Amino acid sequence: MILTLAVIFPLSSAFVIPLLHLYGSRGLRLFLPIMGLGAFVLTLAAAASGFGDYALAFFGGWPARLGVVFVADGLSSVFLALAAFGCGASFLYFYEQMGTGPWRFYVIFFLLQASMNGVLLTGDLFNMFVFYEIFSLAAYLLVSYSLTWQAVEAGLKYLVMGTVGAFFILLGAAYAFIATKTLNMAALAASFPQMPKATLIVIAACMVVGFSLKAGAFPFHFWLPDAHSSAITAVSALLSGVVVKVSIYSLIRVSLLFFGDALPSVFDVITVLGVLSLLGGHLMASRQQDIKRLLAYSTVAQIGYIMIGVGMGTATGIAAAVFHSFNHMLMKSGLFITAGRLAEEIKTRNIQDMKGLYYHRRGMVLAFTVLAAAIVGVPPLNGFMSKWYLVVASVEKRSFLAALALVFGTVISASYYIRVLSVFYTPGEGFSEHESRRPVLAIAALFSACCVVLGLLPFFTPIWELFVEVGSKALNTKDYIAAVLLK
Amino acid sequence: MGLLLLCLGIGWWLWKGVAAMEDPEFIIGPAAYYIINTAEETGAANIVAAILFDYRGIDTLGEASVIYTTVCGVAMLFSKSKYKRSSAGLSFIARRGVSFLVPFLLLYGSTIILMGHMTPGGGFQGGAVFATVTILLCIVFGSSFEMSRIKPKTKETIESLGGLFFVFLGGVGLLAGAGFLANTAAGFPRGQVGNFLSAGAIPLLNIAVGMKVGAGLSTIFYSMVRVLELEFGEQMSEVEGNDKN
Amino acid sequence: MIKISYATAIFVFCIGLYTILSKRNLFKTVIGLTIMESGALMLIVTAGYVHGGVPPLIPMEGQAVNPLPHAFTLTAIVIGASDVALALALVIKVHRRYKTVDLDKIRGLKE
Repeated sequence: MILTLAVIFPLSSAFVIPLLHLYGSRGLRLFLPIMGLGAFVLTLAAAASGFGDYALAFFGGWPARLGVVFVADGLSSVFLALAAFGCGASFLYFYEQMGTGPWRFYVIFFLLQASMNGVLLTGDLFNMFVFYEIFSLAAYLLVSYSLTWQAVEAGLKYLVMGTVGAFFILLGAAYAFIATKTLNMAALAASFPQMPKATLIVIAACMVVGFSLKAGAFPFHFWLPDAHSSAITAVSALLSGVVVKVSIYSLIRVSLLFFGDALPSVFDVITVLGVLSLLGGHLMASRQQDIKRLLAYSTVAQIGYIMIGVGMGTATGIAAAVFHSFNHMLMKSGLFITAGRLAEEIKTRNIQDMKGLYYHRRGMVLAFTVLAAAIVGVPPLNGFMSKWYLVVASVEKRSFLAALALVFGTVISASYYIRVLSVFYTPGEGFSEHESRRPVLAIAALFSACCVVLGLLPFFTPIWELFVEVGSKALNTKDYIAAVLLK
Repeated sequence: MGLLLLCLGIGWWLWKGVAAMEDPEFIIGPAAYYIINTAEETGAANIVAAILFDYRGIDTLGEASVIYTTVCGVAMLFSKSKYKRSSAGLSFIARRGVSFLVPFLLLYGSTIILMGHMTPGGGFQGGAVFATVTILLCIVFGSSFEMSRIKPKTKETIESLGGLFFVFLGGVGLLAGAGFLANTAAGFPRGQVGNFLSAGAIPLLNIAVGMKVGAGLSTIFYSMVRVLELEFGEQMSEVEGNDKN
Repeated sequence: MIKISYATAIFVFCIGLYTILSKRNLFKTVIGLTIMESGALMLIVTAGYVHGGVPPLIPMEGQAVNPLPHAFTLTAIVIGASDVALALALVIKVHRRYKTVDLDKIRGLKE
C-alpha cells in the first residue's frame, strides 16, 4: 500500500496542479506545500517499510510472474531516503525563491519524483524502462526550464544522449525477453545463468552502456557538465544529487541481480569505467574557471568513486558505494545550492571574480567550506569515511590500481577545491552588503551539519554495519528471488 | 568510414547474441497463461488490451504520464512565444469536404476507444484519431478557428481529468484491498466475453487514456504550429509586401 | 526463417546508431533516434512470432501469437514518440536562436 502511494501520490499531484492553476490559483498556494510534504513523507515511509524485510506491492493483485510488482529492500530503501531528502531540499529552495508562480515547474518536478520512486521500487525490467523514460524526459525539461540558450542547448544534448541510452536499455530488455520470455527481474535473475554466453554478453553490454550514458560515466559524460551547469540552481542540485544516483541504483540492481553469478566479468568493466571517470572528471574539473562547471565535472569524478565501489562486487564494496552515494547527495546538493546562490547574487560564475567573498557572505561561504572539505575527504567528515571504506573494499578485493586511483583522485580534487577556497578567502572588494536570506542559509547549514554528523556516526553507532548489511542483502539474489516469486 | 565499420561491428556482435538463442516451438512464460486465462479472469476479448490495462496496468499509467510530461514540456518551451495571426486555411471545397468528414472521424475515434476491449484498438489509438481531427480542423479552417472552438484551457482540463480518472479507477482497487489497478478482483463486473459491456474497468481505463492522449497530442501539435506559424507568417508578410511593390 | 527477421531488426538499429554518430544535422539526429527505436521495437515484436499464428483475439481458431510483445511495443512506441516530440521542440528552439540546425555552426557550449 505505502509503496504504491509513494508513486501514485506525486503522480496525481502532477495531474491536479494544472486544474488548480486553471480554476483559482489560491488552491495552488494552499495545496502545493502539502503536496511537497506528502511526497516527502510517503517516500520516507516507503523507505522505512523496506528497510528491515522485503516489502512487496502487487499491482492488480496479480502474482509477480504475471503482473508488475514493486519490491523494496535495503538497497532501494537507502536510495529512496536519498531521493526524499534531495527532492525535499530542492523543492524548498525553489519554493522559497519563486513561490507558486511557475506551476509547470512543479508539474514536472512531481512527475520526476514519482517516476524516480517508481524506478527505485519496481521489480520488472520493462516497467523500469517506462519509469526511466518519464524521469529522463522530466530531467531534460528541468534542464531547459530557464529557456536561456545554454539551457535549451544543454537540454537537447542531454536528450539525444539520454535517448540513445534508453534505446540501448530497451534493446537489452528485448534480448532478455527473447531469451527468457519474461521480464520480471526475479524470474530473469533465476534464468540468467542458463543463458548462452554470447547473449549474456550482449545484454550486459547494452545495460552497462545504457546506464553509463544515463549516469554520465567518463566516456559518455559529454552532456553532464553542460546540463548540470546550465540549469537553474535548484535543478542543478537535484540533478547532481539525486537524478544521477537513480541511474547508479539501476546499475547496481541490474548488475547484481543478473550478472552476479552469471557473468562476473561485468564488474571488472564497471571498475574500469569508474577509474576512467574518476581520473577524467578530476582532471577536467581542475581546468575549469566556471564554478558550476567545476562542480559538474566533480560529479563525473564522484560517479567514478561510486562505480569503483560497485565494481568490487563485494558486500563491503556495495556498502561503500551506497554510503558514498548518500554522502555525495548531501555534499553536492549543498555545494550547488551554496555556489549557485552565491553566483546568482554576485551575477558571475567565474571563480576569479569571487575574490573576498568570505568577508561579505560569511554564512554561505562557511557552509561551502565545510561541504568542500567533506567532498575532498578531510578526516572527520563523511566524505572521508566513505572514501576510506571504498579504499578498504578495493584493497580487500586486491585491486590496488583502483585503490591508487582513489587516493590520486583525492589529491587532485584537493588541489582544485583549495584553489576555489583560497580565492574566497583572499581579501577583495566590490560586493553589495546583504547576507543571503534565511531559508537558503538554513538548507546549507543543515546539509553541512549532516556532513559532520554522518562523518562522526560510524565511530559511535554501528551505522557502518547497517550499510554492510544492505550490501550483503543486495548481493543475496537467492533471497530476493524467493521473496518475490514465492509470495 | 571508421564509424561505419564500428556500427557494422556492433551489428555483427548483436547478431551473434541472437544467433546463440534457440527459439521454442510454442509460447512459454506468462504469455501462455494470459492466452488461456484472459477470458475467464478479465472478460476482455482482446488479450493485448487485457495485458495493457489489467495485468500490466501500471505500465500504461506510466506511458500516459510520459505523454503528459511531453505535453507539459512542449507547452512550457513555447509558453513565451506570442500568437500573432492565423493561417488562412484552405479553399471552400476543402472546408465543405472536411465538415462532412468530421462527424464520421469522431465516430470512428469513439468506436476505437469504446471497443478497445473487444477489437484491436484502445485509448491510445482512438485518442490519436481525435487529435487528428483537431489537426485537420486547424489546417483546413486556419488555426484561430480551431483555437476558438476548442480552447487550450479545455484541452488541459480534459487531459488532467483523464489522468485523475485513471488514478481514481486504480484507487478503487487499492481501497478494495486487491492492489492498485485491480479489475475484477476489486468488484468491477466481468460481463460476458465479447459483449460491449464487459471486461470490468478496461473500457473505463480506455476512456481515461483516450481523453488524455487526444487532448495531449492536440496540445503538442497546437504549441508547435503556433511557433512555426510565427516564423512563416513573418516571411509571408515580407513576400506579400514585395508583391505589392 | 525468424532469424532473418531478427537480423533485419538489428541492421535497422545499427543504421539508426550510424545516423546519430555520423550526421551533423540535428534533424537527421532526431531521425536517427526514431530509426534506432524502430529497430529495437522490431526485435521485440518479432519475439512474439508463432508459425501460422492467429491474432490474440477471443474467439481464436488455432494457436495465437504471443500477445506480450504487442503490449510492450505499444507502450514503447508511445514513449519513443514522446521523446521525438520533445526533441523536435528543442530543435525548433535551437533553430530560433542560431537560424541553422547544423551542429558545426552551433558552437554554443563547446569550449
